[in-house]
Amino acid sequence: MSGVVSRRLLGSLGAIFGASIIAFVIMRVLPGNPARLILGPLAPRSTVHALNAQLGLYKPIYVQYWRYISHFFQGQWGYSYSEGAQVRTLIGERVPATIELALFAFLITMLASVGLALLVTYRRRPIADRIVRGIAYLGFGTPPFFVSLILLIVFFSILKILPGPEGRLGAQVLPPPAVTHLYTVDALLAGEPGKFLEALEHLVLPGLALGMANFAFLVRLLRANLLEVSREPFITVARGKGLRRWTAFRRHALPNAFLPTLTAGGLVLGEFLAGSVLVEKVFNWPGVGSLVYEAILKQDFSVVQTFVLLSAVMFVLVNLAVDLLYAVIDPRVRVKSVTTA
Amino acid sequence: MSPLRLRSWTGRTGDGEDELAETPAKHDDAAGAGGSLALSVRNLRTVYELGHATVQAVRDVSFDLRHTERLGVVGESGSGKSALALSILGLLEPPGRVAAGEVVLNGRNIMGLSERRLSSIRGREIALILQDPMSALDPVKTIGAQLQQAIAVHNPQLRRSALRRRAVELLGEVDISHAERRLDDYPHQYSGGMRQRVAIAMALANNPKVLIADEPTTALDVTTQAQVLSLLDRLVDEHRAAVILITHNLGIVSEFCDSVSVMYAGRLVESSSCEHIFMRPTHPYSEALLRCVPNPERLVEGPLPAIPGFPPDLSALPAGCTFASRCSVGRELAICHERVPSRQVVQGPVGDASVECHFARERAAGAPR
Repeated sequence: MSGVVSRRLLGSLGAIFGASIIAFVIMRVLPGNPARLILGPLAPRSTVHALNAQLGLYKPIYVQYWRYISHFFQGQWGYSYSEGAQVRTLIGERVPATIELALFAFLITMLASVGLALLVTYRRRPIADRIVRGIAYLGFGTPPFFVSLILLIVFFSILKILPGPEGRLGAQVLPPPAVTHLYTVDALLAGEPGKFLEALEHLVLPGLALGMANFAFLVRLLRANLLEVSREPFITVARGKGLRRWTAFRRHALPNAFLPTLTAGGLVLGEFLAGSVLVEKVFNWPGVGSLVYEAILKQDFSVVQTFVLLSAVMFVLVNLAVDLLYAVIDPRVRVKSVTTA
Repeated sequence: MSPLRLRSWTGRTGDGEDELAETPAKHDDAAGAGGSLALSVRNLRTVYELGHATVQAVRDVSFDLRHTERLGVVGESGSGKSALALSILGLLEPPGRVAAGEVVLNGRNIMGLSERRLSSIRGREIALILQDPMSALDPVKTIGAQLQQAIAVHNPQLRRSALRRRAVELLGEVDISHAERRLDDYPHQYSGGMRQRVAIAMALANNPKVLIADEPTTALDVTTQAQVLSLLDRLVDEHRAAVILITHNLGIVSEFCDSVSVMYAGRLVESSSCEHIFMRPTHPYSEALLRCVPNPERLVEGPLPAIPGFPPDLSALPAGCTFASRCSVGRELAICHERVPSRQVVQGPVGDASVECHFARERAAGAPR
């Protein structure tokens, strides 16, 4: 067990290191002097020079890198000149919205893909199978911002059954008392079902838009896995013992097919948590993604730089968790780790 | 009960008559108990509907299995043996389905019963052992969990501790040492032979009276094969189960079975006692199969003979006898290519055989081969 943990941890650290290098290099390669951007075009050269020195930009590159990385992990993410606030405060304000959207999108993506994959593999209806595969191809090939627009046109403009791009709540609605900062959860905790529905309504379209591509990916993966596993002799053996078809499927096909899906699910959740810049922008979702969108336009590099590294860390952490979970669930991984430890 | 005789049938093809006379029926009671049948299959027809074509995997097959009888079903790959096994158990998955026929198990027709009813029969009255021990066990569940599941599904009243005790007993019964400790292992920690023994233990967990073993030793190496086969032999005796042993290995049939049916292109083309088929294979296909069995004494004569040609496409069967184009007797004969041979019961030197060949009578009466 400890072998698996230490190997995975090392791998995760490597991934974070790689991401930090990329974020660092992008910052140095992009045109524009940070001090000039902060001070504006009218500031005298000597002031720019002084600020550059203060920012440590004349120090050797490895010192600059060390400063950047150590500050990042200390939570000193710099100052956003465009917003006039600490980056940490800005991101802290935006993170709950992104997390809520990510979890919601993840939930519906998993439910829909598991449900549909089960339906077509257990029932073996060729027509249903073709429809699901069709949806999957469509979702796979359509960019999320386009899906967002289509969803808005259909459900907001034409059908008028879901709210438009107005963020997490309607304009006149106050957020529920903050506990988790996830509006749906907080509304339930405060016992305000009306507000819960309001928050949920606002989650549906961005959640669908965010989840579509990954739903396509997951449903295809799970369908293929389930089909493969359901043809395994151990399913026939289980039914031969006297298990009903559904029981054999549930107890033996599902757990086996779910193992690879777990890894994929980790990737998907990591991707959702890392934020979706375009979907958040389209729906005016006050999350990290739309913050980054603004920051890019304003060349506010301290925000972008923090976001890149932060999303890498998120992604790596989720996948680390999945890997560890895998080692708990799959006896083959577990035993391998015992022998290598 | 007679012990397993690890002899090779090939040694007695030449001068078989005397030796056969000394060989007792492997199951003396099998021959006697004519009245009650363990299993009776009538006009079973199984098809796979693949959209563009319909594959006729099992074509109108009928046979009887007496209590404690051991029937060998022999044939090439793709002759429909496994489809037959799955059809009997009602375990075919789409696109396969049983198009017609009856399966009478212990006196009642189980064909067309609901999945609920069938599942209460499977494992309790009729059980299954599959070919590949590597994939016959769920890789993410312990051996113990899978054994206990086999017991629990028909004995829901048993408590955990009782289930575990019974599972340990079962593992011990199939000669797995340190059964108590090995119960919590996963399949990948067992060798192939051990897994197949676990599969046997699972199949016999509820004392079924009919056991269908689909190539139970094919995936094992030769020494393990012999061990597993002798274990199966002992346990089947102890449990007094009737067996349908599906195999392409005639050596195993001669060691294990009382009677044999040769399957070709979805039909049983010859059914008889073991003695008959090894001494007087009447259908030309049976004879050709026998000739293809490797015999160490004949290796000097050159490469192994093979049956020329391929089995027919089961979705586009030829007119007449399906074996005609490969047959040493009927390849050139118009009757074989035009008329489907009917089933005839013929008298051989050692009992009856029912054979589907236009020349069955002549061949049964002819010189020993």
